[in-house]
Amino acid sequence: MMRIESYKELWTVIRSNKLSLTGFIMLIIIVFIAVFANYIAPYDPYQRFYPPFQPPSPQHLLGTDDVGHDIFSQLIYGTRISLFIGFLSAVIGTLIGLLIGLFSGFFGGVVDNILMRFTDMWLSLPTLLFTIFLVAILLRSSQYPMIYGIILAIALTSWPSVARLVRSAVLSIRERAYIEAVKALGASSTRIMFRHILPNVASILVAEVVYRTSYAMLTEASLSFLGLGDPTTVSWGMMLYYAMVRYAVVLGYWWWFIPPGIMISVSVLSVMLVGMALEEYFNPRLRSRY
Amino acid sequence: MKKYVFQRIIFSIITFFFIITLVFFLARATGDPLAELENDPRISPETIQKIRAMFGLDKPLYIQYIDFITNMMLKGEFGYSIIYKRPVMEVINERLPYTLALLIPAITLSNYLAYKIGVEIAWRRRSKIGSAILAFSIIISAVPYFWLALLFLYIFSVRLGWTPIFGAVSPGMSFNWSWEWFADYLYHYALPFTVLVFRSVFSYVLYVRNTAVDILGEDYVNVAMAMGLSPEKVKYDYVAKNALLPIVTVLGLRYAFLIDGAILTETVFSYPGTGRLVFEAIYGRDFWLLQGATVILALSVIIVNLVIDFLYMFLDPRVRYR
Repeated sequence: MMRIESYKELWTVIRSNKLSLTGFIMLIIIVFIAVFANYIAPYDPYQRFYPPFQPPSPQHLLGTDDVGHDIFSQLIYGTRISLFIGFLSAVIGTLIGLLIGLFSGFFGGVVDNILMRFTDMWLSLPTLLFTIFLVAILLRSSQYPMIYGIILAIALTSWPSVARLVRSAVLSIRERAYIEAVKALGASSTRIMFRHILPNVASILVAEVVYRTSYAMLTEASLSFLGLGDPTTVSWGMMLYYAMVRYAVVLGYWWWFIPPGIMISVSVLSVMLVGMALEEYFNPRLRSRY
Repeated sequence: MKKYVFQRIIFSIITFFFIITLVFFLARATGDPLAELENDPRISPETIQKIRAMFGLDKPLYIQYIDFITNMMLKGEFGYSIIYKRPVMEVINERLPYTLALLIPAITLSNYLAYKIGVEIAWRRRSKIGSAILAFSIIISAVPYFWLALLFLYIFSVRLGWTPIFGAVSPGMSFNWSWEWFADYLYHYALPFTVLVFRSVFSYVLYVRNTAVDILGEDYVNVAMAMGLSPEKVKYDYVAKNALLPIVTVLGLRYAFLIDGAILTETVFSYPGTGRLVFEAIYGRDFWLLQGATVILALSVIIVNLVIDFLYMFLDPRVRYR
């Protein structure tokens, strides 16, 4: 567990950089919006109003879409799904990467060779394209893309970089004296890996989960935008999908397609900035870069 | 050197087999492709048997796998597109040139620009302009491709009317080797190309900058400065040159990222490339078309990676003499 002083140090790192501080504050606001969405949003996101395609007005701050949904309320509720999918798929993806990196780095030799070749192959593929392909496969056994299918698909394409990172960390930890000491005491491989090496790579994972979350949020938005979102939920990407297929851009309905994009960008940015701050905190060598 | 070339080629072939195998098992082994038909009371079991035999689905899985590979590798067959009612390969062949003509200039230009900007802001990392460009590039990397494309489309096509709203050429214009066609093509090309380059330059600047900053911290840079070499010489001959190698290493990854960007950008601009084809396949629930586009785009990534490996050989003498 982190001690109080380390929280203080983390705060110093965040405060020292204007960008990190902005990201941190933005993230708090976004999480707040996600948690209290039902209190903040003026209407139910599925409630229909007449007429559709309303421009912004005091009743509907950002107007209504093609079927009469209140765009502002949809925007507020969209925060939930974006953070939920982003975070959960980042955690699963990081866990997969952790296991592969741990085994690869610890056992070395043939195991390492095979696992890393496998990782490199995954890494070289276009991520979004393969996520689309995975979702499309899951789609064949259901009527529409399900939220857990989307999470799984994003997780399955996001682990390779984590595996590489963990592996290189394990390679250096493995050579340290205390590992040799534990080995001499007769500890099993599993015990050494999970009990003695894992805690030392945990710090990398914290920053990595946050980073992966920002990428996963972008991927989720892209999937929804291409029509692979879960239609039973409200997401920013899907709002933009409907805006595109209903020609909102050509018709000039800026209140429909500008706000969701701002929400995606701002939330991805804030998570990214917090990730950068965490990386700097855990890896003080990087602090000289800025 | 021969060994290196040989190794890279073998690795590329293995990667291709890996992808085909992955695609096959994901597509076939995860469920019965005809499950939906079996639940349909209007279709008799005999008809389903016939369809099964037609697609070779009644054979054991490993024979299906061999069939799958031979069909793809030897005959270039990727099945039949439901929405276009034509062989998938034919459709892709028509669309691929548009995407490659977008991707290859875009990756060249965006890498060049990102490299120049990245080294420059690393060199001036304590200046206002350096931090401003850094902040801007971080912000842009959080903006999704498709929204940037929608925004550009709204500003430049809808509001200002400078560029067309959709397509690669004007409706009714068919391909011929004439200036007229080329001018029309460029007129449609400009905006999607700008979006791709703009977004990918700034998502890459941070990486180039950090690489260059790390090099600036190296002893040999300090020594060069202490020796009294001109800052210009240090910047170009010591920092920029050494920053080139790690940057070439990630070129392949960047190409893969750009494919993702092209899928989204082409979709917004209704640009008739392979990226838009992916969207059409999703929209029309055309699985074979999606599978074909996925394999072909992945194959292009493998080829680009192989070219980069050879490029590496010329840039890094350590590889050449190993």
